[in-house]
Amino acid sequence: MLSPYGLDIIESCLTCKTRSERLFCDLPGAALQTFESIKYATAYPKGAVLFVEGQAPRGIFVLCKGRVKMSICATDGKTLIVKIAEPGEVLGLSATVSGKPYELTAETVDPCQVNFVKRDDFLRFLKEHSDACFKVAEQLSEKYNNACHEVRSLGLSHSAGEKLAKLLLEWSSKNGEASKQEPRLKLALTHEEIAQMIGTSRETVTRLFADLKKRQIIQTKGSTLVIRNKPALKSIAANN
Amino acid sequence: MEAVVQRSYPAPTERPERLFSDLTPETSRDFDALKSVVTCPKGSILFREGQPARGIFVLCDGRAKLSVCSESGKRMTFRIAGPGEILGLSATLAGSQHEITAELLDNAHVATVRRKDLLGFLHEHREACLQVVNLLSEDLHIAYDRVRSLGLGRSRRSRAPRVQ
Repeated sequence: MLSPYGLDIIESCLTCKTRSERLFCDLPGAALQTFESIKYATAYPKGAVLFVEGQAPRGIFVLCKGRVKMSICATDGKTLIVKIAEPGEVLGLSATVSGKPYELTAETVDPCQVNFVKRDDFLRFLKEHSDACFKVAEQLSEKYNNACHEVRSLGLSHSAGEKLAKLLLEWSSKNGEASKQEPRLKLALTHEEIAQMIGTSRETVTRLFADLKKRQIIQTKGSTLVIRNKPALKSIAANN
Repeated sequence: MEAVVQRSYPAPTERPERLFSDLTPETSRDFDALKSVVTCPKGSILFREGQPARGIFVLCDGRAKLSVCSESGKRMTFRIAGPGEILGLSATLAGSQHEITAELLDNAHVATVRRKDLLGFLHEHREACLQVVNLLSEDLHIAYDRVRSLGLGRSRRSRAPRVQ
């Protein structure tokens, strides 16, 4: 079935081809059957808000396709993007488990398919299936690891240049590019969104990119960024 | 000198729940059988950032400073843990490296549970598994709070006194 947003909707977790590659989704038989019965598969366009920081938790959102921007916002409107969630991640997990308000705002950056599970159903599911409980624990551990990484980056990086260099190196280490001498990455975010990830302004990010290009540390070809001088970028990231 | 050092750290983050406080007596007994309690002096490093996690540490009393370190060696306090808290839970469950360094601020009794024993216990006792998930959620809430205060300069919870 095709959704209005051009997505090829995965109707059933039981027949999902990517299930075994994803931490939470790779549930054993009985747990998977139960999960299938309590989930609601939904498609969202780009720019849809799944939940807002401070909102009472309604349930979890398992991201099947697309990416979601997770952010926090100050009262003056300043936004910090904490993470870009990828398929396989469970969003709103800690809030749903604890009953506390959602800690972050989740907004789609692509058309997305999401499996929503109501809070009561999810908590009952965890009580009945300890395997699922372990999967949830693993997801929460990963999120905690990411949050500690963010704390380190925000609290210990001196400059925006350092943070941008670290971010580019982090992105370039995915998708098998880590070992390459000149790794490539797809710049899927605007300069404004990158600024929101590292806690600076759009103008600073634009200036930093121009500087990196001028020094031939990076090169851009459309939306593809090539790191031409990885040691130099690492040196900036280490504040040398 | 010691009193000055103690005053320079913020109070531990509020964590009213005790570890596995709602278990049946039988399950609690099984968990107690897994613990080894040791006395550690102030300044002891329970685990270091980057070290593979071998088990959890329960602070029976005293406080521990949880910190992160940059590549250049700069260290920043993440938060102060207080009595009853479990340290290293996330990394132990994931089987990964510790995300932070934990150093005792006081002489303390610390109960350790090896990773293998903890996982076996959780597989056998479903209700304990759910409590662990709750504890991890709380850890994550605190971590996000720290991200918020560093990135945006505000915190949903009351801000801890600044470290001098």
